[in-house]
Amino acid sequence: MPDLKNVIVFALGGARWAAEIRYVREVISLGFVTTVPTAPAGIAGVFNLRGAITPVLDLGPLVGRAAHPAPRQGDGALLLEVDGASAALRLDNVDEIATLPVSTDAVRDGRGRMVPLIDPPQLLRRALHAAQAVRGDEPPTESRLPVADLDGDPTLG
Amino acid sequence: MVSDADFDADELAMLRQLFRDEAHEALEAVTARALSAGAGAPSADSLTEMMRVTHTLKGSAGTLGLDDMVDLAHRLETALDQVRTGQLAWTARVGDQIVEIVDGVRAHVDAMNEPIAAASFADHVRALLERLAESSGDRTRATPAPAPRPARPTLSDGVPRVVDGADTTLSITPSTDLPAVDGRPLLRVEAERIDALMSSTGELLFDRTRIERRVQLLRTLARDLGRTRQALREEVGQLRAAATDAARVALEERLRQVEAGLAGQATQLAQTTAALLDETEALRHTIGDIQRGLLRTRMQTSRALFAHLARSLRAISRSAGVRVELRTSGDDTEFDKALAEQLTDPLVQLLRNAVVHGIETPDERIARGKPQVGTVRVAARHDGNLVLVELSDDGNGIDPRKLRERFVATGRWTAARAELASDDDVLAAIFEPGVSSRDDADELSGRGIGLDLVRETIARLGGEIRLTSSPGRGTTFTMRLPVSTAVTQAMLFKVHGQVYALPQVHVVETTSVEADATTVAGRHEQLPVVRLEQVLSDPTSPPAEPQRRAGVVVTYAGKGLVCTVDKVVGPREIVVRPLGPLLAPLPLYAGATISGSGKVQLILDPAALVRLAYPGSPMIDLPSPSAPSPQTLAGRALVVDDSRAIREALTAMLSREGWIVDVAEDGARAVQMAQQLRYDLVVTDLEMPRLGGFELIGRLRENRTTAATAVVIVTSRASPENRRRARDLGVRALVAKPITRRKLLEALAAR
Repeated sequence: MPDLKNVIVFALGGARWAAEIRYVREVISLGFVTTVPTAPAGIAGVFNLRGAITPVLDLGPLVGRAAHPAPRQGDGALLLEVDGASAALRLDNVDEIATLPVSTDAVRDGRGRMVPLIDPPQLLRRALHAAQAVRGDEPPTESRLPVADLDGDPTLG
Repeated sequence: MVSDADFDADELAMLRQLFRDEAHEALEAVTARALSAGAGAPSADSLTEMMRVTHTLKGSAGTLGLDDMVDLAHRLETALDQVRTGQLAWTARVGDQIVEIVDGVRAHVDAMNEPIAAASFADHVRALLERLAESSGDRTRATPAPAPRPARPTLSDGVPRVVDGADTTLSITPSTDLPAVDGRPLLRVEAERIDALMSSTGELLFDRTRIERRVQLLRTLARDLGRTRQALREEVGQLRAAATDAARVALEERLRQVEAGLAGQATQLAQTTAALLDETEALRHTIGDIQRGLLRTRMQTSRALFAHLARSLRAISRSAGVRVELRTSGDDTEFDKALAEQLTDPLVQLLRNAVVHGIETPDERIARGKPQVGTVRVAARHDGNLVLVELSDDGNGIDPRKLRERFVATGRWTAARAELASDDDVLAAIFEPGVSSRDDADELSGRGIGLDLVRETIARLGGEIRLTSSPGRGTTFTMRLPVSTAVTQAMLFKVHGQVYALPQVHVVETTSVEADATTVAGRHEQLPVVRLEQVLSDPTSPPAEPQRRAGVVVTYAGKGLVCTVDKVVGPREIVVRPLGPLLAPLPLYAGATISGSGKVQLILDPAALVRLAYPGSPMIDLPSPSAPSPQTLAGRALVVDDSRAIREALTAMLSREGWIVDVAEDGARAVQMAQQLRYDLVVTDLEMPRLGGFELIGRLRENRTTAATAVVIVTSRASPENRRRARDLGVRALVAKPITRRKLLEALAAR
């Protein structure tokens, strides 16, 4: 029997995605986005969120799909927060915020359609590993790293 | 003047600086007391105190031979005494005049090192004093000062006592006994020295980040070594299974020994790395402590800032012809000195707006049922790591409705947008550049003068400003700022339309670079060129045309380079912010800063630029264990010298030639190391503790594996005797100190 969870369903590049609301601190509108040369494709830039340097994630490359157009000031985004690390995940628009039945990798929305469920801790960890790969590191096997103690490596649907 | 015998030039300069600080505090105290009296005369105690600090100042000035200052202090003291004895009646006007006089004395003190300016300020103050005497109807002139008696310098006097000031009218409570702070000794330090320490600590932070990256790399290396050892063990195992003849068995045995040695070393490396990780963690804490400690020493209470505002308000309201009272609260709220300095101008701007455009004329106020005298409140308090500064007036407020009309009338907004915007949005828009200009004369727009600049300053300090207003009742500006700011100097430049920064300490100069140049002549050598338009390109930016470009000359760890940029923006003070965990691993950046308009600007790490300019230099970069760089290695060298500086210098020179370099601080350590690892080259000093150079070479020659190792001697004792001995030991070359790169290269080339 599937669990019921509070999720936010959003659209990005013609596809729909869901994320558990507990990882979403707020829905924001992006400030001026500075591009970060040498950053991996999943990190589309940084912006100033009330004085904090906040990365903007592009969901595409982080789930093995094509990159979306570069984020711009005024674009909508989810502010994800995992273990004190935060990042903005760009979106086109929010569809709904609801309590929906959730399986490991998808939710069933109000109209009975399956929407893939993203896992913010894993997303942030992938972005981190991609950044470390730029430096030439292998992904750490054990970690003292900020986005740590989120074990397992479940694959996305 | 003071005779040369009293102080030398340095001492005199230092004493004058101390005097300047002391004078500022003393004059501040006099001003505060004069202002707090308002129209009512200051108490006798307060006057006595004003005279006392003035008198002390006179004594200090006399010690330093500052004759003008002695005279001015004397005259001021006399004027104050006349108020005390009732010869001069206190009025608000007299209060203003005294404040003006004290301001003049301050200007004189500040101009101390420019005699002409100082003298003209002194004359100005004398004129003011005479006018004061005239206004009292008392024409008796202040008597000239008696010859100053060199008093004991009282340089530690005049420190304001800390007083609780919850919503007191004006910031400084008129109390007696200013100088003592619980009888604890106080140390007076120039602010610049603390600032210099602060900026070194800022550097330390960058260094720490680099070390942490290195340690992470070492961990990976240790893990890889473990894997290699495991692979070797498996190979040896297979060899054993397949061993048929005696030679193979012997080979297997030897390999097993190598594997065992490797196992020990891998474990050691892992342990050392783990320990290093703990130590960098400890370092992180220590640096944090130092920074917090330094920040505390730079902390100021809002008292001085408020006193400055009170003075400004005085001047502004006098010229605007409006009566306004300043009420302060949170006088003891502490924040960083730099923050207080940077905050002064925006606050004065807000104050000016409040007085000129906010507070109504007395008649209007009475008609509205308000007290005739307007009130501006300024409050400061802490909220976690933030300091909250609030400035509010009880004037006519800002009407969002009128503002909407105005935005539409000036074509700034469409009618539809004005309709849709919330009142908060409308008020927020007042901070936008060009909402109004000085040309706009009406009260509403006048409110906007300089507000975009105010917001910019606050943003640069990492804070934000908000505005609330209720029409007819008043306006409140609320600023939230970090308590302290890690301000540092940086060179800003543009590449592909984006602004980047480099820490100023590593920037030597700016220059220009020809389109096809790979090196640029530096002061001492050819500097490699790093083309930032390539390094910082992203897929969306058009390919850079080869052309002559501006260049920024950078040095780091003794290496120089030139990086090309599109345009040099210039040096700026920036507030360094961490990049956050996701971006921190990117080697190119050391942090980020936020521009006045709120954009993120990336700070490049000079260490990363050096790595780009000197690829494959082991001293600068550990070869990446996962992707060994295809560098041409000259071999492995051991540098032996008891001087760390020489070791570093030789390491740098050899690294540049492609050598992997290890170091030892004496011959004994070198012998140990040479037993563990095969070296292609040993560069050694002669005189060292424990085991000297010749003894080291002797030991190397005794051992079969090291007998043929190439040896170069670097010594300050290049005697014929030593040269002969070196030749007998088969040393390749003996180089006399001081060592240069050219000499070393010649020695290496020698046969």
